[in-house]
Amino acid sequence: MGAFDMLGIASSGMAMHQTWLDTLGFNIANVNTVRPTSQSAFQAQYVMAQSTQGPEGGSGVRVSGLALGDPVGRLVYQPDHPLADAKGYVRMPDIDLGSQMTQLIMAQRGFQAQSQVIRNAQDVYSSALSIGRQS
Amino acid sequence: MTIPAVGAVGSAGFTPYVAPTLPTAPAAPAAPAASAAVSAAGGTTGTDFSQLLSQGLQHLQGLHTQTDQLALKASTGDLNALHDYTITATEASVATQLTTAVRNKALEAFQEIMRMSV
Repeated sequence: MGAFDMLGIASSGMAMHQTWLDTLGFNIANVNTVRPTSQSAFQAQYVMAQSTQGPEGGSGVRVSGLALGDPVGRLVYQPDHPLADAKGYVRMPDIDLGSQMTQLIMAQRGFQAQSQVIRNAQDVYSSALSIGRQS
Repeated sequence: MTIPAVGAVGSAGFTPYVAPTLPTAPAAPAAPAASAAVSAAGGTTGTDFSQLLSQGLQHLQGLHTQTDQLALKASTGDLNALHDYTITATEASVATQLTTAVRNKALEAFQEIMRMSV
């Protein structure tokens, strides 16, 4: 374990949470994206996080991949929509906006928690540096 | 009635303190002659202080180079994570403080020795 592992681990956590925030923004931006019924619906992205192991214990977290949402979506009857099929249906993405907003808060709080870890690490380092310091 | 001698305390479960032995680093064959002479005169083994300090300074140089590269990326818009820069800058700052603290301590010790009246 190096002296600055706390910073490296917190950095990996912040990177993961940032990716999560990015995907949530992408999902929310496309919550009303309409596709014709001949195509698959917009698929929401979900971050898969995985802990990483260093030679001496944990070394952080990483994004192991992005899971995609349901391609079927929901069929909505909108006969006046330009993309509607002969029966008047269009395909909307099956994204729960409430769930996305809740996850947005979770990701934001996680990001804030990681930055608090970094602040505490700075305090730890400065208290270690102040040992034996005169005046 | 007999009073046991002090030396007999050891048999009653008391184990005397044994100083931990540090693993001695194998002597580098390419060590400069000056450091070998210093360690021979001082009767100590281990890395020379100047070597330690120069290693620390090289590490510090690397950290600052990394920070500068990230600062350039931040100003040109190529940085994809803000915390990459801030964390590297923090690391470089703390490492600088640590290196200067080590240097100041060594200088303090040296001056303390120089003030010694003979």
